[in-house]
Amino acid sequence: MAPKFQIKAFQISRLVKNFIIFSIVTLSFLLVFFSKSDLYLIHGIKNISSSVIIPITKVISAPINTFSNFVDEYNQFRSLKFENKILQEEIIRLKKWQTLAIQNSRENNVLKKLLNATDNNLILIKTASLINRNDTIYSKLINLNAGYEDKIKKNMSAINERGLVGKVIDTTSNNSRVILLTDPNLSISVKSISDGIFSLLTGKGDGKHLVSSFVKENKMPRLGDILVTSGTAQIFPVDLLVGKVIKVEKNRFFVLPFVDFENIDYVQIVTSK
Amino acid sequence: MEFSKFLKSSSKLNIILIVSFSISVNSFILFPNINNSFYVLFHLTLIYIIFYYYHYYLYFVALIYGILFDIFLLNSIGAHLIIFLSLLILFILLRKYLIRLSSNQIIFIYFISLIVILLIEQFLVILIHNYKFNMSSFLNFFLISLIIFIPTVFLLTKLDK
Repeated sequence: MAPKFQIKAFQISRLVKNFIIFSIVTLSFLLVFFSKSDLYLIHGIKNISSSVIIPITKVISAPINTFSNFVDEYNQFRSLKFENKILQEEIIRLKKWQTLAIQNSRENNVLKKLLNATDNNLILIKTASLINRNDTIYSKLINLNAGYEDKIKKNMSAINERGLVGKVIDTTSNNSRVILLTDPNLSISVKSISDGIFSLLTGKGDGKHLVSSFVKENKMPRLGDILVTSGTAQIFPVDLLVGKVIKVEKNRFFVLPFVDFENIDYVQIVTSK
Repeated sequence: MEFSKFLKSSSKLNIILIVSFSISVNSFILFPNINNSFYVLFHLTLIYIIFYYYHYYLYFVALIYGILFDIFLLNSIGAHLIIFLSLLILFILLRKYLIRLSSNQIIFIYFISLIVILLIEQFLVILIHNYKFNMSSFLNFFLISLIIFIPTVFLLTKLDK
């Protein structure tokens, strides 16, 4: 009698099962419907996935990560001699530029004082390191080890030494998620340094290039023009380096970002003053 | 007793699901195809579990993995959750027909379901998440599916004897 009773205890009635399935399907429908809103439930799910699931997935995928790092180091070691030669040449070139830059900086400071101009400096919120990246399949996202406890807020800009990296789209207490410039769902308002042509750029989808989605008055920039953030949308601070025009077509142009998105270790979260 | 027996035989497949999920959501810059391969492997294993180890708990599995895949790969819930739950519901509707099929026919349907799921996922990503259709990405998934399909089926059948 006892085993029979046990089996009966485990068997849930068909009605309860159907109710559970119906609840799951309804919950899924609601989650899909409200996924882009700022609901507490959605935020909670994202919070748990960032703070609990990411560390677990990191531990499970650690062997492949170690192998990947080993191959990377081996490749770097192989190209050490060649890289050394290039770096020596670059040092000579940069020393010449440094002298020129110091002169220009002094001149700039003097002119600013004469004009009584205010600096358009950025406020550095936090320098954060990369926890993991989700930029192979579909979206181009990275996760950082700093969140709203470090005063990082949504829509702040992420930069590194080369220029604009992306925008903060989600923050939890100790993590934040940054959408990279190369994501097709991120638009940035830019202007060319030489002509001041305003345009909107989005990710091309290949993870490497940006493409124009709108050009003001259909004025195309020239090949090789450098683009910076225009600051007009008031999301990104003004004058952050974005990239260089590499191809111009009749109605659009392509941009190669300055940031090497494959080699991001640290980013700075900044906002404008 | 029955439940514990069932859990024993499907636990190996669930471990494959966890491992393939973990690897597919952590990008490796030097080996992007590793992510894609484990992404395809996850889909293959999920279809296999639904085909051979259908149980009500799979609705929770589909819900959790669907949400996590969507958050990690798309930053909003949608495509994966819809696909995983639809796959389960479709399986219940077609179960009585699938049981009558021969092993070769099942293998063929297994492969076709994988490709169709990957394709519909791409379309849902366009519809819900505003991404552009990436033909090279889909061809990459298709090629990986062709390469790993037979070894995966062999491995999965060996695992559950």
